[in-house]
Amino acid sequence: MRSPFRPDIVPDTAILDNHKPLIRSLERRGVIRGSLSLGALVLLTGCDVKRPEAVESALLAISRLNDGVQALLFNPNRLAPTYPASMILRPPKFNAYYDVMDVKPVDGATWRLEVSGRVADKRPWTLQDLRAMPQTSMVIKHICVEGWSYIGGWSGPTLRIFLERIGADLSAKYVAFKTADDYPSSIDMATALHPQTLLAIQYGGDTLADPFGYPVRLRMATKLGYKNPKWITAIEVTNTYPGGYWEEKGFPWFAGL
Amino acid sequence: MMHSVSKRILVGSCFLAAAVNLVHAQSTTPGGMPPPPGMSLANSTAMRFPQPVRVGDLLGREVLRPVESQDILGRVRGLVRDRDGRIMVVVDFGGFLGIGARPIAVPVDAMVLLGQDMEIVAFTPDQLRHFPTFSPSGTTDVADDTIIKVGLAKPSH
Amino acid sequence: MHWVNAVVMLVMITSGWGIYDDDVIIRGFSFSSFWRLGDWAAWSLNWHFAGMWFLVINGLIYLTYGFVTGRFRQKLLPIRPADVVQTVVDTLHFKIAHEDITVYNAVQKLLYIIVILAGISQVITGLAIWKPVQFSGLVSLLGGFQTTRMLHFAGMAVIVGFLIVHVALALLVPKTVWAMLAGGPRVSADSQVQAHLVRRGHTA
Repeated sequence: MRSPFRPDIVPDTAILDNHKPLIRSLERRGVIRGSLSLGALVLLTGCDVKRPEAVESALLAISRLNDGVQALLFNPNRLAPTYPASMILRPPKFNAYYDVMDVKPVDGATWRLEVSGRVADKRPWTLQDLRAMPQTSMVIKHICVEGWSYIGGWSGPTLRIFLERIGADLSAKYVAFKTADDYPSSIDMATALHPQTLLAIQYGGDTLADPFGYPVRLRMATKLGYKNPKWITAIEVTNTYPGGYWEEKGFPWFAGL
Repeated sequence: MMHSVSKRILVGSCFLAAAVNLVHAQSTTPGGMPPPPGMSLANSTAMRFPQPVRVGDLLGREVLRPVESQDILGRVRGLVRDRDGRIMVVVDFGGFLGIGARPIAVPVDAMVLLGQDMEIVAFTPDQLRHFPTFSPSGTTDVADDTIIKVGLAKPSH
Repeated sequence: MHWVNAVVMLVMITSGWGIYDDDVIIRGFSFSSFWRLGDWAAWSLNWHFAGMWFLVINGLIYLTYGFVTGRFRQKLLPIRPADVVQTVVDTLHFKIAHEDITVYNAVQKLLYIIVILAGISQVITGLAIWKPVQFSGLVSLLGGFQTTRMLHFAGMAVIVGFLIVHVALALLVPKTVWAMLAGGPRVSADSQVQAHLVRRGHTA
């Protein structure tokens, strides 16, 4: 099956190879320029500063360095604190890049989960298939980049078991997600294999409700809320950086806790 | 390498193309929007994916104004059914840090759940100030273990 | 070092206000966009996470310098409560002479120690809310994620409070401003000898 992630016209990858030195020097310059602009720009606080391009790319360059630092800080064996089931907030807190009234429920009966990229078995999955897998439950803190948090209880197969089942290349760099609400997202393989990373199909022991991502959403105890796509429709294992909805607007990609 | 370059190009181009629209994507659809004019409260709740919640879990919750500064309007004191059987949330409204607050009854369909808090979306603080002080006569308490359905909102900012 | 710190502090404070507004801690209180660095949360966050490196690196150099050269011990200690009271009383009587700007008065000493500790505390609470899973022990020690967030906010308030006093007083005593801009006061050979003797215990 063709990957649902690929554009119809694929760019010639030779472009990248031909310009490697240039790209690298641009990146380095970005960081240096960042340090300088940091100083210059702060003097403008208070004025209505839209980000000048140089400042923006400098900040993004530092943000990418931070992604690397965050990956180094991530301990794949470290478990996030868990809580008793009595502390679960029912219902959970809703958030999306649009208002709740614009949620488009997904029909679980006809829903299929497409699988693509560096995997052996690309057969699509049904909700029944996911329910038939070994289930893991966790009561963990959901921490939003905005600053709020709540305790939620999630169940479903771990993403690790799912990836093993589809014969995914576990040495690949990224696992990418597509969703019914056009909220592409992606995570690093180390986090994908973490024992507290679930394809959640239940909340607090009940089937996931529509506004929280029915039939399946990602729940990771080790990443900020916006890294957890809801209403997932496709999963791809890839070595090509897939980006994500908020990441393309400026939020950091790694976003580890 | 792909990572950074494609990201930078994407980010750069989207800001150049539609600076205001895209940059403020987050704030163009704030949460806690009031119901559309002319729509009944019950119908507007139906659009907000009402979720089951235990009445006892609502007691003591902060009641906020759906704005970025999240002004506190009051605190949930209890839930009652009025003469027509409608569920009303009794909110200790106004005052400062709870001092000088008075109870008012707000239809549950005028309110939404926002995580551990609630918001009043269908009435402005000015309208609420004109609400009569709640009197329990003719109403019946809703038991703590009752499960009711309350609409949702996303954070406002 | 002082001016790198001043700039970075302003970056951290104003970008922090931008992040704060996404989910206010004090209900009913948000910062208007005039005071925020970054036109919305993602960019405030990017400023904050860029500035943190400059703050930490500059702070480490400053602390190392302060301890290794004995500057902290010499300039900031000892502090006697009676001296603090005396300085406050003097200041309220507008006796802020500062004859010798190389010697800090008791209130200055106290404020500098408070702000250095607040800065260190900001780095620790900041690290805890940045990585609450990797440093979950630290977070529970500090009283949980939301409490740590509040401590981080309170630390900012302490530093902003210091900055207001610091800038106001520096402007009231004009010759200190020149010293700050030029990188240190001009000290005559005589007073250097004097200071050396005092340090060695040969009280003049």
